[in-house]
Amino acid sequence: MMKPIRNLFDAQRRHFAQGGKFERFHPLFEATESFFFIPGLSTQSDAHVRDSLDLKRFMSFVILALMPCLCFGIYNVGYQSLMASGKYPALLPAVISGLQTVLPLIIVSYTVGFFWEILFAIIRKKEISEGFLVTGLLFPLTLPPTIPLWQVAVGISFGVVIGKEVFGGTGRNILNPALCGRVFLFFAYPMRMSGDAVWTVVSDKTADALSGATPLAVAALTPSGETVETALTSANYPIETLCLGLYPGSVGATSVLACLIGATLLIVVGIASYRTIIGGVIGVLAVGYLLNLLASETSMAWLSLNPWHHLVMGGFAFGIIFMATDPVSSPGMNASKWIYGFAIGALTVLIRVFNPAYAEGVMLAIIFMNLFAPLLDYFVIWQRLRKRLANV
Amino acid sequence: MITVKTPKGCKLKIAGKPSLDLDRLATPASVAMLPARIPFVKPRLKVKIGDRVKIGTPLFEDKRRPAIQFGSPGGGVVDEICFGPRRIIKAIVIRLDDNEEHVQFTSLTAQDIEAATRDDLIKAMQDGGVWPFIKALPFRDIANPEEPVPGIFVNLGASEPFLPQSQVYLRNATDLFESGINLLRKLTPHVYVTRPPGKAPVVKALKHLITHTCKGAYPVDDPGVQLYHSKKSSDENRSWYIDGQDLLHLARFFETGRYPIERIMVSGGNLAHANKHFITRTGIPLATLGGCHDGQAAAGARFIVGGLFRGYTSEIDSYMGFYENALTLIAEGDEKEAFGFMRPGYGKPSSSNTFLSVYNPSDIKTDCGMHGERRACINCGFCVNVCPVDILPQFTYKCVRADEVEESLANGLLDCVECSLCTYVCPSKIELCARFKQAKEAYYKELT
Ligand code: SF4
Ligand code: SF4
Repeated sequence: MMKPIRNLFDAQRRHFAQGGKFERFHPLFEATESFFFIPGLSTQSDAHVRDSLDLKRFMSFVILALMPCLCFGIYNVGYQSLMASGKYPALLPAVISGLQTVLPLIIVSYTVGFFWEILFAIIRKKEISEGFLVTGLLFPLTLPPTIPLWQVAVGISFGVVIGKEVFGGTGRNILNPALCGRVFLFFAYPMRMSGDAVWTVVSDKTADALSGATPLAVAALTPSGETVETALTSANYPIETLCLGLYPGSVGATSVLACLIGATLLIVVGIASYRTIIGGVIGVLAVGYLLNLLASETSMAWLSLNPWHHLVMGGFAFGIIFMATDPVSSPGMNASKWIYGFAIGALTVLIRVFNPAYAEGVMLAIIFMNLFAPLLDYFVIWQRLRKRLANV
Repeated sequence: MITVKTPKGCKLKIAGKPSLDLDRLATPASVAMLPARIPFVKPRLKVKIGDRVKIGTPLFEDKRRPAIQFGSPGGGVVDEICFGPRRIIKAIVIRLDDNEEHVQFTSLTAQDIEAATRDDLIKAMQDGGVWPFIKALPFRDIANPEEPVPGIFVNLGASEPFLPQSQVYLRNATDLFESGINLLRKLTPHVYVTRPPGKAPVVKALKHLITHTCKGAYPVDDPGVQLYHSKKSSDENRSWYIDGQDLLHLARFFETGRYPIERIMVSGGNLAHANKHFITRTGIPLATLGGCHDGQAAAGARFIVGGLFRGYTSEIDSYMGFYENALTLIAEGDEKEAFGFMRPGYGKPSSSNTFLSVYNPSDIKTDCGMHGERRACINCGFCVNVCPVDILPQFTYKCVRADEVEESLANGLLDCVECSLCTYVCPSKIELCARFKQAKEAYYKELT
């Protein structure tokens, strides 16, 4: 079955080799070929044997782990859209409606992103890194489903070019590129990224559309004297719904359950660091309980919220599991990962509570901690090297 | 007793493990000495083609320290001297006589050794061509007798897949081993013997000599790892070490007064013709050592001399070097594989959990494929998880690349035991260890 494909590549290779007419496009050829075939290189120096794991498989696992979020997201987007249009959200129509909304986002994200990747690979005469496979999928999953496609294009371009390529490409970037694109959109087009209307696609404009506020918005608007829990419940967001994720929100980040399935896979295969994730959870709970102590009768309703709610609201689960664990933009040392995760959790809650304008605190928290990751590592390494007996 | 544990390291399940059986190989028509395979040495030839040599006749000496001689592995005629690029001496080939002669060095009994001075012993070993068996950390060059010796590690381990096992070469040789230890004690009072991980029965007889035990996987029994985990101060960094089998050669040299040529070698790997130990002699042609069946090597096999992680690739018509006792044959692994990154991989070796092979209880066929392409470092930390001496390879690599010598040293560059595990696990296929070796070498050249 693979033979004809093999032959096709072999026949075309000379055009892309040095001196061939498409020499410049060699990275593209290489990337396409290596998608189909692990190249037959053997070791030339250093150890004779190598682990079977390569970056492509590494990244494939992240994509695999994102599948529950993606599938659920598609269903949820369709479900909310049908509900808002006053239709009965049966499974199949919901999935079809969801696909109509979500697929274009993903296709635009991948196409535009790949355009930049290829362009930079050609300019730099370097291979195309697999890291983008993940970025290209992560990015649309964090967006509101109503986002116009041109903004998807602008966002991913910003993420790839400014978030990654200006630093020198995958491995050298300080910030998580997908998040970078997302945050850029958030600040550049605030109207499109917040408010109650953006989270649900309403196809039938004539119908008496009612789109609900997101749980975070409900929580932020809870008047003092009332508890967030009751506000959520009366807005029809009991904690079970929040866990399951069947509520209006960004495309793929609403379901804590789907995120947890992904997290389990990533932790079991050892690709995401459990330290960052658990650190994040501890951070949220610690600060959440601390705020509880500050709460009084008249204070903001946020302060007295049971911290476990923070874990299941908004994009925290998605962010800490899929964005914060990106190895390139997170610190490398185990100790720094705990601190990094903890700080992300803590900041998420603080931003949510004290700056309701940026309800989606987790994104800003991660980007902020991305910046500090090298510093955390610096101190942890310094501590560690001090303990070494000198050998010079 | 010091126990060294490395919780890190990776479990390697490589197919083609040699058995503990021991067979005798027939004497080949010629043997050779490979000066180019002896690290750091600058050979000055002492023979020319056509010269008659005995076993032990000096073939060359080290220009850096001319007292150090390298003896002939056979008696006969110098048949060929092969030069490589920049006139490095690749091989000195000796065609063997039917009745080989020996150079007679003085033989010493235990009492003689006890009575001899340190300098006399060193001189005898240098003249007899056995001094080079003793090496010095951290650069792994031949030990310099003029330098102070903080201690000598005797390495009985062979956790790198497929080196000769101490339980094979120590059979019937425990007394010899003990006289070897007494010999080393004349060089320094601090002689350390590391018991290999596992339960080797012969080593029990030497229990009173053992100072270090270890738990863990390759390369936990390496002298560098032992030193790193047991040293009390930086003064011990320049400790010496010797392989357990080579210590037997030293002892035999003094017992018989002859240059010791007998070796226990091993042939392994899933493409080897016979996976077991052999009694043979130093410098034999590779083809003799189980690599070939009726003169034919298995198709697509790579001949690896000296171990899968630290050895070198050799031509089939070459010979075993001075230090090397292991030949491993595995597939070159240069075939393309369709949709390789999506396969479940029950039969793919990996130290990660990303292949179903984690659940595969048997040894797995391993080849020399890269299994992926070179990419930028993604800071995944896999290399940190396997380094036996707590180096942070990804950060050290950056220092080394930036030529930051001080910084690299502070990161523990010289503690690196050159085990290549970091290179093995790196999903971005970065050759970290090779770079560290280069950097160490460059620094060493600067020092000397
Ligand atoms: S740095 Fe790499 S080669 Fe050196 S000891 Fe550590 S794992 Fe082995
Ligand atoms: S294993 Fe390779 S990619 Fe991962 S941190 Fe080490 S050097 Fe970087």
